Amino acid sequence: MVEPTYRGSASVAREVDLMARIANGDRKAFEELYNLYHRRMARFLTRLTHRYDLAEEVINDTFWVVWRKARDFRGDSQPSTWILGIAYRKARNALRSSARLGQQNLEVESLALTSEEPFHTEELRDWLEQALEQLPVEQRMAVELCYELGYSCEEIARIMSCPVNTVKTRLFHARAKLQKLLPQLAGAGASAPRGAGRQAAPERQS
Amino acid sequence: MMASRACRHEECWLLLPWLANGRLPQAERAGVEEHLRECAACTQELARQRLLCQVLTEPERVSYAPGPSFRKLMDRIDGRTPASPQDLRPVGHRGVPAARAAAWRPPGLAWAASFVLAVGLAAFAPTAYRWSQWRYTTHTTSAHATPGVLHVAFERSLPVGELEEMLRSAGARVVEGPGTSGIFGIAPVTTTARGSAPSGEVSPQMRALAARLRADARVLWVEPLTGTDGAEGAQGRRTREP
Repeated sequence: MVEPTYRGSASVAREVDLMARIANGDRKAFEELYNLYHRRMARFLTRLTHRYDLAEEVINDTFWVVWRKARDFRGDSQPSTWILGIAYRKARNALRSSARLGQQNLEVESLALTSEEPFHTEELRDWLEQALEQLPVEQRMAVELCYELGYSCEEIARIMSCPVNTVKTRLFHARAKLQKLLPQLAGAGASAPRGAGRQAAPERQS
Repeated sequence: MMASRACRHEECWLLLPWLANGRLPQAERAGVEEHLRECAACTQELARQRLLCQVLTEPERVSYAPGPSFRKLMDRIDGRTPASPQDLRPVGHRGVPAARAAAWRPPGLAWAASFVLAVGLAAFAPTAYRWSQWRYTTHTTSAHATPGVLHVAFERSLPVGELEEMLRSAGARVVEGPGTSGIFGIAPVTTTARGSAPSGEVSPQMRALAARLRADARVLWVEPLTGTDGAEGAQGRRTREP
């Protein structure tokens, strides 16, 4: 299994150092940080927006802010949480202003994705990407941040500017929907505990 | 007792994604792992969560090149391209307007830029005449084709899934890009024996791939194969106006 994108303390220390240098106008440090984040953000954002050009626009909008606001970074959170928080808001705004958002949020009715063939990882990923498209944007982002980018619940809450319980709820609903859409993933006879979603859902889903 | 057990089950169920991605704090982890020993449903769910992590962290089939995007961003920071509408008040550092920020930049940078420009011009001069003989220009960074790679522009709004599907059905994959102008380097997934050709000639495999891509309405243009492709490329290169 490929390890999630969780970074160790050495990587975090390196990123903190880069942030400090960027705050002093160090372009080399800025380029290094940009390259560090470009791949993981491009993948995450392309999956979210379905468009390379829009993903690139969001990445550059994010790093435009990083360049301008590096001095405001106080180290209260990890640099990655801060940067992804900016990217999340930029992506949300970009999606809102694009015509696609209206379609995406209306496309929440379930469309079962089934296949007679046994699933290989690559096929499963294709199906999964189709299934993810049917989730509301906030749930999809929570899925990407948790499973793909490997963030903790608290970090996702900080990135998405919402309570920890809301993150759990979004993932709970996303998981339930993915299991409906991907019977092969759901497996035989397994189901979510009754009432877990209601108890864990203190807030309305966006 | 039963209510407490059900409650524990629900709590654990909610935390499983972070047990799967390895980010559950130790204090909570111990409790969840204890529950897993007696709960088959949660154990099954954990396996699914791990599968999700595995699938979503598989190496990407498309490789992204950060260089062109970064240069575009630096152009924007330096004011060579307009900022996006929400950033019409560019500042270099906190509260410092762009003009002052430019003045703040180390003077050595300007000297370095001039030096690079001078070296670049010196290198360019001897080849300028030869370049002027070319009848056609390309949108790629090099006037020469990369062997075994087609440079292709797709519709900008083409979803990633469709792009991947198109390439997969054509037996091709992305090996470069996208560059600043959205150009991808595309190559066959496997090179067949027929696919190889003497140096300077276009292999049948590459011709077939180029023809197949050009036939797709979502492909704006394909260029170039090799130097010998010039005449054909001049006619068949652009499939339609972008």
